[in-house]
Amino acid sequence: MLIITRRNGEKIALGDDITIQVLDIAGNTVRIGIDAPRSLPVYREEIWAAVKQENEAAAKADATQVRRPPARV
Amino acid sequence: MQTTTTTKFESTRFGPIEIQPESVIEFPNGLIGLSGSSYALVAREADSPFIWLHSLEDPALALPITNPWRFFSDYEVVLSDAEAARIGVSNPREADVYVTVRAAAELDEFCANLRAPILVSGGRGHQVINEAELAPIRAPLFDASELAA
Repeated sequence: MLIITRRNGEKIALGDDITIQVLDIAGNTVRIGIDAPRSLPVYREEIWAAVKQENEAAAKADATQVRRPPARV
Repeated sequence: MQTTTTTKFESTRFGPIEIQPESVIEFPNGLIGLSGSSYALVAREADSPFIWLHSLEDPALALPITNPWRFFSDYEVVLSDAEAARIGVSNPREADVYVTVRAAAELDEFCANLRAPILVSGGRGHQVINEAELAPIRAPLFDASELAA
């Protein structure tokens, strides 16, 4: 992992198309601005990781498990 | 994968499958955490709520999905401005909306991911993050009492 220290207001450039800026620091919270191409998804990492986990779990299903439920449902 | 002819592939679950070109769904950003960008919807059982989102690039990769409103009548999809701009859809209800299903040995353990639905429109698919307040990542589909014989 590349580790960079920034002060409030400073930026990081990722390649030519992405810029990350520290906008505000208050206690334990950092407000971060991200300038990136519109097509690039940007996620809170814990959400990305949880969705990845659900996708992988869904992809484990075999055909016999996924069947029409009983008529009463 | 642009094609004007039927795509044929061998699914590890279902054997030989033929896909019409208009059924191919391209995911410009893929599915979160999974490789590949070309998929198709495969229905295996008539009147089942579940269909399969099947990779056209990996014969073993397929996810059960469903229409969330079949199970959650007040499901809401709310997109941030950035997500709406990213996928080019301002109103989520203009697209076909699906949610992935985590299957299990018993139907009462099935869950849907309401937090990251899949929107399909015009041959393109996007998995998006739903900003609605009540959108659990594991929402049980079936009440155990509904399934009791």
